[in-house]
Amino acid sequence: MIWGWILLLLPIAGGLVVVGSSARAAKSIALLTTLATFGASIAAAIEFDVWGTGDFGLVSSIPWLPEVGINLSIGADSVAMMLVLLTTLLMPLAVLGSWTAVGERLKEYYGWLLLIESAMIGVFLARDLVFFYICFEFTLVPMYFLIAIYGGSGRARACVKFFLYTFTGSLIALVGFLFVAWSYAETTGSWSFQIATLCEYASESLTLREQVWVLTALVIGFAVKIPLFPVHTWLPLAHTEAPTAGSVILAGVLLKLGTYGIFRFVLPMTPEAVVEWAPVLGILAIIGILYAGLICWVQTDVKKLVAYSSVSHLGFCVLGLFALNPMGLQGAVLYMINHGLSTGALFFLVGMMYERYHTRDMNAIGGLAKRMPVWAFFMVFFVLASVGLPGLNGFVSEFLCLIGTFAAGDSGSYPGVMGPWFAAFAALGMVIAAMYLLIMVGKIVFGSLKEPATDDHHGLPADLSAREITVLVPLAVLCVLLGVQPWIAMDAMVGSVNETLAAYPEIVKDAMQQVADAGSSVLSGGVNP
Amino acid sequence: MILSSIIQRIVLATVESGGLAQPETEPVISSDVVVATHHWWAGFILYLPLISLILCGLCAAMKVKSKLPAWITTVCLLGSFVLSLLLYFDYGGSPELIPLLSWINLADPGGNFSGLSANFTFYIDSLSLLWIMFVTGLGTLITFYASEYMESDLGKGYTRFFAGVSVFLFAMVALVLADNLLMLYLGWEGVGFASYWLIGYYYQRPAAVAAAKKAFIMNRIGDLGLALAIYLIWTTFGTIQYDELMDVIQSGSWKESYDGWTIDAIPWFLMLAAFGKSAQIPLYVWLPDAMEGPTPVSALIHAATMVTAGIYLVARTYEFFLLSPESLHVVAWVGGVTALLAATIGLAQHDIKRIMAYSTVSQLGYMFLGLGVLSTYGAAYHVFTHAFFKAVLFLTCGAIMHGFAGQLDLRKLSGLIRIPGWRITSIAMLIGCLALAGFPLTSGYFSKDAILAEAFITQGPGFEALGWMAIFTAFLTAYYTFRVWFRVCAGKVEYEPGDEHHGDDDHGHHSEAFHPHAPRFAMNFVMAVIAIGALAASVPYFMDTKADEALAGGWVADMVHDSTAQGGLPGLDRHGQSMGDIVEHGHAGHQGEGDHAHPTLFGMDVHTAMYVISGVVGGLGLLLAAWLHLFRRQDADRLKAFLQRHWWIAWLPRAMEHKWYVDEIYQGLIRAPLWIASHLMYAFDRFLIDGLLVDGIARIPRMVARWFQPLHNGIVQSYAVTMAGGVALIALLMILFLQFWKIGGGG
Repeated sequence: MIWGWILLLLPIAGGLVVVGSSARAAKSIALLTTLATFGASIAAAIEFDVWGTGDFGLVSSIPWLPEVGINLSIGADSVAMMLVLLTTLLMPLAVLGSWTAVGERLKEYYGWLLLIESAMIGVFLARDLVFFYICFEFTLVPMYFLIAIYGGSGRARACVKFFLYTFTGSLIALVGFLFVAWSYAETTGSWSFQIATLCEYASESLTLREQVWVLTALVIGFAVKIPLFPVHTWLPLAHTEAPTAGSVILAGVLLKLGTYGIFRFVLPMTPEAVVEWAPVLGILAIIGILYAGLICWVQTDVKKLVAYSSVSHLGFCVLGLFALNPMGLQGAVLYMINHGLSTGALFFLVGMMYERYHTRDMNAIGGLAKRMPVWAFFMVFFVLASVGLPGLNGFVSEFLCLIGTFAAGDSGSYPGVMGPWFAAFAALGMVIAAMYLLIMVGKIVFGSLKEPATDDHHGLPADLSAREITVLVPLAVLCVLLGVQPWIAMDAMVGSVNETLAAYPEIVKDAMQQVADAGSSVLSGGVNP
Repeated sequence: MILSSIIQRIVLATVESGGLAQPETEPVISSDVVVATHHWWAGFILYLPLISLILCGLCAAMKVKSKLPAWITTVCLLGSFVLSLLLYFDYGGSPELIPLLSWINLADPGGNFSGLSANFTFYIDSLSLLWIMFVTGLGTLITFYASEYMESDLGKGYTRFFAGVSVFLFAMVALVLADNLLMLYLGWEGVGFASYWLIGYYYQRPAAVAAAKKAFIMNRIGDLGLALAIYLIWTTFGTIQYDELMDVIQSGSWKESYDGWTIDAIPWFLMLAAFGKSAQIPLYVWLPDAMEGPTPVSALIHAATMVTAGIYLVARTYEFFLLSPESLHVVAWVGGVTALLAATIGLAQHDIKRIMAYSTVSQLGYMFLGLGVLSTYGAAYHVFTHAFFKAVLFLTCGAIMHGFAGQLDLRKLSGLIRIPGWRITSIAMLIGCLALAGFPLTSGYFSKDAILAEAFITQGPGFEALGWMAIFTAFLTAYYTFRVWFRVCAGKVEYEPGDEHHGDDDHGHHSEAFHPHAPRFAMNFVMAVIAIGALAASVPYFMDTKADEALAGGWVADMVHDSTAQGGLPGLDRHGQSMGDIVEHGHAGHQGEGDHAHPTLFGMDVHTAMYVISGVVGGLGLLLAAWLHLFRRQDADRLKAFLQRHWWIAWLPRAMEHKWYVDEIYQGLIRAPLWIASHLMYAFDRFLIDGLLVDGIARIPRMVARWFQPLHNGIVQSYAVTMAGGVALIALLMILFLQFWKIGGGG
């Protein structure tokens, strides 16, 4: 099908045009291209006839190196399609959001933005492992330059750390992938890099010990991306130093590459190892939720606070993934989308404030509601979405992740390997999130007005301009829509989620049986008190 | 195009959700629950506040500077109230489901779990009708009052205020009318958010911002309890819809999978939620601070309606408490102790609004005591009467604050009833005080007695002592209530203005020419109406709509009878037995005693004795207040001086004035250690994880490389190259290792 290729190539083509055009036209071309891509993704979504099923749509394949089984094959299931939509939605907003913030080396800037869009879409559309991996790695390069050229004062250290950290992680994941492919070639005598083939092979033919090794390699790679405690330290640095659009893309899409990787590869490839190791990963996620949440509490830099909050929030997503039941997994996928919307918007808002005052220090700013009521309205709105106020999007996904984790006890109606204690500790994150986000709001939005001396808000109106409101409104509308009618997304993804989970109930039951037989508790975490 | 298709699906789903109440899986709908699609218009009880919110938003966008937002909100809420009344009169007597909109529906094709569905559907029974009527009714009146009270903010925060009130009413309606625990949770957090919004209304005042934040976070701790309770209930019973839950509980089918601890844990988490929202120990400290909000908010949210949501929750989920009766003992004791503690703090405050806040905490304590001693009817009736008399007390406080430039110190106000224009305020306040003090034949007298008597009837650990404690608290209540009235309204005319100017220039503060501006029509009208309501609230006690069932307690008892809270009604042996079947260990209530074999007190039936005792106690408190604060005010000063002079007693008034130092204890024991721990974690994150581990490991390849060949080029490139090289080396080793190992494993 043609739409997939259009989605992939349109941003690259636009990027080439941008580089070849004048600096003045760069942002208009970039905006048009991203809008066209968004339009194309909507068209693809309408064309996409497998919503709600577990099948792949937009399937297409071009031979590349057929002798070793490498093809340029693309296609998306409904989960991938939703993430593509999220990406293409955020990109025009990111371009609009950088309209005045970036003033130099414009052609390069918008060129990198368009390139990273293609790479991200490629990650979600890839059905060939090599193609996936190339796109996955390639997202790093534009982001590296976006931070290195357009970032804040500490950008040199931040971009190097970001690049090396995530690059190292993905190399380790590559080892895992190569092992699976090599093992497949050993067994069948021919090479294949089809993701579906490899997943099926790995889940059926690898021994438990091999699966554990593959799982370890893949999880290290993806955990760095998510980021999961304790491999999260690149994120606060990169987020804080990145330009606004960079932070939005980072939080909105790039972090989801990690959780998407777990959804697409770890869960289907190594089910037995997942069942064995889910409690450990769950504990890491919970540590991340509480630890990063408490760290948020003592931040004075707004952007760093929002960055650490991503570490805390994505812990819920990881818990949902490893709950191994439909509630948890649907919650996790929803969480990816919701976090992209609300945290993306928070980064926009922080950027809008920074553009006016050139500071992110919460002790230097205060009571901005008086000066910028519209900005204050959106700030409070997205903070509430992020806190998980019911009626907005964050609540539904958080609730599903937690109830999934809770029900994943061995006595629950759906077998799983976590349980009430996991959910109870993770749920403390709800209180902590309210603490740090409301304290942030209390400091910068409310209270008596305190603003650093600015020379006329750096050329911007005191409150938000129509362009800035245009950036925020679509996100706000989606937050309400997904909060009140979440079944729009849930019904669409149900098939993919159930497909992914199909093998699990049996495996979990077997594992439980083994534990019961052995009389000792390997799955100590999943045992009910 | 995709948008239209989505809209189409929403509409379809909404239409379908008419049938969604009976989804394909055919759940057990209890025989007496009906799906009342013909009451579709009841949805507007929920939608009207939402419409009001949207219109207020439009007003804000168009910078309306008139009182339009107030009229919009008043009219919309009046509409909700009228619809609630219509629904009450059209209510057929058996619980109804009114489906509105689908929300979350998770079915499992594998059949491994029972599905999770939570939709926007109303569950109408007499308990929710009781609540919705006084919520929307008082909401309308207080909004009308606020239209005048807030007028000094016209063009500034006026619209924002009424938008907040609309949000509150929307969430409160969702909370009360929800048919499942998740929609209740939506309302539950929604009212918490509205409360945050309105407490922080004066957002430039740091105290208001801090109070708003504190309220939200304290409430979040309660919400955590509710969330965990929902998870537990769903995993144990397989549903979170009330009607299905009641069926499952009563059929006993859950016992097959009963594994011992969940049933006992559920009420504890529900309790945590209720204690957070209804300001009980240990989560009560937010409510007094919440008085930073505008006074109509205090009257509506923090006295009459929102804070009773905890009582509603317990009453609504009473069956879970009956399954684990020990939890009710805790509810009773927490309620009783909170009532006493808050009353002692109320004794020592000077700010009349704070006194009212502590008395709210104290009265909520009574309600929990009532729930705990198996008198859901007493608790519900006290909620009902308290809503009126406490609303009127707050509204009169608000009128005083409004007229005297923010003055709330009872030492600086006196003789209000003699100032022209303040008569209605003073008399309304007197009525409120009489009811709060439990003066004989007022509404508070009957509702409080219903609770007190039950404390002596129901058997439980120390319930009798608890009863005496509650009687002592009633004495304190009468004293501090009338301390306020005698100081502020009676005595000789004397006043000092506060230091707040409402923006009107006709009275500068601290000037000799200060004239208090008396409340005008809207405020007087509302105070009078609610005061009359507070008097009339004793009428339902004598209204027996179901005389044939021999229920004591009148209309409210009848309302509770038809609801899920009926397990806590007196004299219902029919139901008592059915509960006894379910609860294996049984609970020692007196429902089984159909012949009213009450214990006696001083040779009288407990109910009769309680009328006498509480009447006497209330009178004594009133007399003491009259002596110290009306006739011989100098004696009060002498008593105070005496207390402060003697070291062995001086700590008592000081501790009471400082609220027993509970805030400081929380600060020292919880917040400060957590704050230090967070800083330590941040340091740990930067220096240990990021500094030592990450940077340390990253340095290894570079150091290795340096041994072989010193690199002189740019730091970034060398860093990258060596790092990648090191990683590649590790990767290679891993592949080799795995290969050998696989071969070894295969062989």
